Parts: sequence; C-alpha cells; structure tokens
Amino acid sequence: MSPAPVGIPPNGRVVAVLEHGPEGLAAVSLELAAAAKRLAEWLGLEARLVLLGDQPEVLARQAARASGLPVMALRAPCLAGFSGEAYRQVLAGLLPAWDAAVVMAGHTTSGLDWLPGLAARLGAACVSGVEGMRLGDGRPVFSRVTLHGKLVEEVAPRAWPLCLTLQPGALAAWVTPADSPGAVEVSEVAPPDCRSQVQDLPGEAGADAALGQATVVLAAGLGMGGPEKLEVLRRLAARLPNAALAGSRPVCDLGWLPYRQQVGLTGATVAPRLYIACGISGARQHTVGMQGAGFIVAISHDPQAAIFNLADVCLVEELPAFLQTFLDLI
Amino acid sequence: MRILVCCKQVDEPESLLLDEQGRPYPNAPARRKLAEWDARALEEALVLKETRPGVEVWAVTVGPAEADAVLQRALGMGADQAAHILAADDPPLRPATIAAWLAEFARERGFDLILCGVMSEDSLQGLVGLMLAELLGLACATGVVGLALVPDQAGLRVEREMEGGRRQAMTLPLSALVTVGSSPRQPRYPSLSNLLRAKKAPRLLIEAETLAPAPVREERLGLSLPQRQRAGLRLVGSPAEKAAQLRDILRERSLL
Repeated sequence: MSPAPVGIPPNGRVVAVLEHGPEGLAAVSLELAAAAKRLAEWLGLEARLVLLGDQPEVLARQAARASGLPVMALRAPCLAGFSGEAYRQVLAGLLPAWDAAVVMAGHTTSGLDWLPGLAARLGAACVSGVEGMRLGDGRPVFSRVTLHGKLVEEVAPRAWPLCLTLQPGALAAWVTPADSPGAVEVSEVAPPDCRSQVQDLPGEAGADAALGQATVVLAAGLGMGGPEKLEVLRRLAARLPNAALAGSRPVCDLGWLPYRQQVGLTGATVAPRLYIACGISGARQHTVGMQGAGFIVAISHDPQAAIFNLADVCLVEELPAFLQTFLDLI
Repeated sequence: MRILVCCKQVDEPESLLLDEQGRPYPNAPARRKLAEWDARALEEALVLKETRPGVEVWAVTVGPAEADAVLQRALGMGADQAAHILAADDPPLRPATIAAWLAEFARERGFDLILCGVMSEDSLQGLVGLMLAELLGLACATGVVGLALVPDQAGLRVEREMEGGRRQAMTLPLSALVTVGSSPRQPRYPSLSNLLRAKKAPRLLIEAETLAPAPVREERLGLSLPQRQRAGLRLVGSPAEKAAQLRDILRERSLL
C-alpha cells in the first residue's frame, strides 16, 4: 500500500546552497535563490541561502544584495576548493539543527556531488533536474524532463525533508532584483573529517575563441553518422560569414571534433545569431549551452527528437544528405 | 580485488515512438540497451582487470526480466559474474529504491570498488550512485573521466570533470564508489562468440520482494509532452523544397 500524500510541513526552512567558482557566484545561484523564495512563500516557510568557502563573505553579501534573502556564510580554510564530501559533512551537521524542510542545489557537477548523498543520509525525498514548480493541492509539484527529453514528468514529495536539484537556466525568468539586501551571518565551521582529498587542476585549453564570437554556429551530433560526414558542415561553415563548427558531447567523446569545440554543460555556452543543430538529440547536457541562440534550426531524422522543442525551424531529414542539398542551393 | 558495476537498461531514443498523448506505441516497443555511462563504467572496470592480476568484475542490474540483455552485454564484454535484482520498472523505480536494493545486494559481498554511470541518459537524474555510496558508507567521487589504482592498491586516484571543462584530481581510499562520466575510453564491443557464451552463463537472480522494502518518498503525478519553447515551424516537402524554404527563411532574417 502506498503512503498517503504528505502536505506542507508545519514549520522549517527552505535552504538553498549556492554555487561559486573561480568566476564568482554561478548564475544558478540566483536562480536557486529565486526558487527558494517562491517555494518558501507557497509553503509559508522561511527561505535561507547558504554559501560555503574559505572566504565566503564577499560572495555572501553579493547574494544577499541580489536576492534580498538572509545568507549564512560558512567559513573553513579547507573549503577553499569545492569538495562534495566536505559539503556533505558540513551540511549534514547543520541542516537538522536549522530545521530544513527543503534543501536545494544546482543540477550541476557540484550539486550532484553532495546532495544525493545527503538525501540518503537524511532519508529525504529527492527530485533532481527540476525545471519548473507549482503548488498543487497544498503541496509542491515539480516538473523535470525524462525519456531522453521527449516527455515531462511531474513529481510530488511524499515525505519531508525534500532535496531538490535545479536545472541551470530553467527558472532564470524568476530572478528579479531585490528591494533591500538580506542579512549576512558569517559562521566558522569545524573542518570536516574527509577521506577524499581534492585538488583543482589548472584549466585545460578552454573553449575555442572562434566559437564564442561566431555569428553562426553549425553543431554536429551523433546523427551526422561519422567523422568523415562532417566535411559537408565544414564546407557550409566556409560559405557562411563568421561561422564556426561545434559538436555535442558524444561527438567530442568519439573524437570527431576536439573538446574545445564542444557546446553544453561541460563545454562552451554560446549565443550566436543562428544555431543549426545537425543530428543532435537535444539532451539537456547540450541544450543548456545553446538555448540562448537568436534563431535555432534543428535537423534530425528522428521526428520526435527533443531538440525540436526549442527550435524555430524543424526539419526531419537524413543527414548529411540534406546539408549537401542546402549547400548546393545557397 | 572485487569490482561491482551497476548497469541500467534504457530505451534507445530514436527507436522510442510516442503518440500525441506522449504514450509509447504498444506494438512498437523501443529497442533497449545498456546505458552509455554505465558502459563506460564497465569499460573502466575491465581495463583495471586487464592491468592487474586477481581482479574480479561483477555486473548487477535492477529491472524486469528483459533487463537480462544488459547482463549478457556486460558478460560478453568481459565481466566475470552477473546478478539481476528482478523488479518491474513501469512506472520507473525511484532512485532511492534502486540504491537501497543495490546496497543490500552489495553489503556483504566484499566489493572493493563500485562503479556506476554518472547518470542515465534517459532520465538524467544522477542520484543512484551517491545514494548507494552513502548507504554503504563509502568514499566516493562523481563524474569521473579518468581513474587509476595507486600502486599499493589501498586507494584510487581519479580525475573528475566540472562545468566549463574544469577538472579536479582526487584520491580516495578503498573501498570506494565512483560514478563515471564521459571518460575517453570507448566501451568495447563484445564478440559474437562471447555474447553467445554470455547468454548461457549463470546469473545470480534476486527477487526484489525478498529484499527489505524500500521507502517511496516521491510519486509521479503524470507525464506530458514538453511545451515548445519556440515556433517549431516544421518544413514539409522534398529535401530540395525544404532546403529552398530554409534558405528563404534565413534570408528574410538576414541570417544568410
């Protein structure tokens, strides 16, 4: 027998753990703040932001100004770089004391390196990759994409606390300027006892500079059919003004294109005037890196490819044959 | 040394056809396969087996009888043992349920290293690995793109990938759990003879009902087709006609 649906917890906090890196606060941090604020309003709870670091004050103040929410800055020398184990240790000690009803992180390589473990430790409900939320029948309902991006599922918690990871960019429209800054409280935390040792490595050669500045990006996915089939894309790129070639993650993994030409979560984020996706399924990993493009054309032989949901123009066609036809015409 | 690789069966996206309500066509079931990142995790395990004496590789899956195909694949690629936790997966099992069953399976079996894919490409949840590590109290690393045993075998050195291509190096003591991301090693193809042999190889079968009931803390309320975020104009006609339409659309917007 399935348990009865669980309503709103009587009290507690919505806690969003902010992300930051060498470039400062990650964009998803403000989205987390906006989502925490909304969720707290719906549930009649208090929202609180948390930022961990060796020098967390400056970023904590920045987050408090931008969001208007109170920020708890947790300071320890060993939190200089990101460590999922350190985050789990520090937060597992504090969240029950804070009466956390909801704990949120980014659906990123950092958030996914601590939150699922904490959810297991707390015996919490857990929904990851959240792209939308609403209040339905007195409880929060979350939407996320599934089945290769072909469907959206709605999921509701049956238990508290609830752990969530938020898809970067999905709730960017919720971010609004705050009237007055939230309070910042800095607190020293005991160094966590970690079994793993983590060291940030010097950056690899970053994304291709031409990719960031291109007016037109021609992107290849596995649906192109093979490395030799990219030739027609290269010729098309040569014919278009200021065009650059890019690839999805699997294409770069297979060595069809170098990693510096990868667009997506672990690659470059681009916003050209025109983006032509060729044989790309439309996995979130990829689309977070290109959804800001001015005009998107998607070509795939799969009529239900997820990429079509965010395209301005959709073509169900064989590749690379169609590109040759197009090239001959222009 | 004993390594366990957790293997999930997923639909092949291009063979998965949905009707206007987003339901799969009953008469055209999708082809299913071993999830991509799980295959990479298995490849990493097999490379460790090749480079070290005395490494035994287990593959485990949770799912219905059809999921046996991923065990056959794993055995065909070179896994030594296979275990199947039999459970219906429609609606899909919750990650916490899968993690709880895998933990119960793995707990008394003395695995030095557990490998999972960082997430499965169909649902992109990224939860099972870290939940399993927590339930077993193991040190862990996620999104790993390179891994090696340190010479005295007491630990593991890994490299994990983060946003924008940033990387971290980590050392972990064994026993440990590692979720494998887009490692550069391509999963090997099993030979036909190995696949045939794998079909006959024994499996350890465990009925999920015989395991401790796992709490279900979330429920799926419904499924729907994604909303289009843009116009999504579908061009129709022959390839040449579509190419001409595309050219005209792009010229109108001064994009060509």
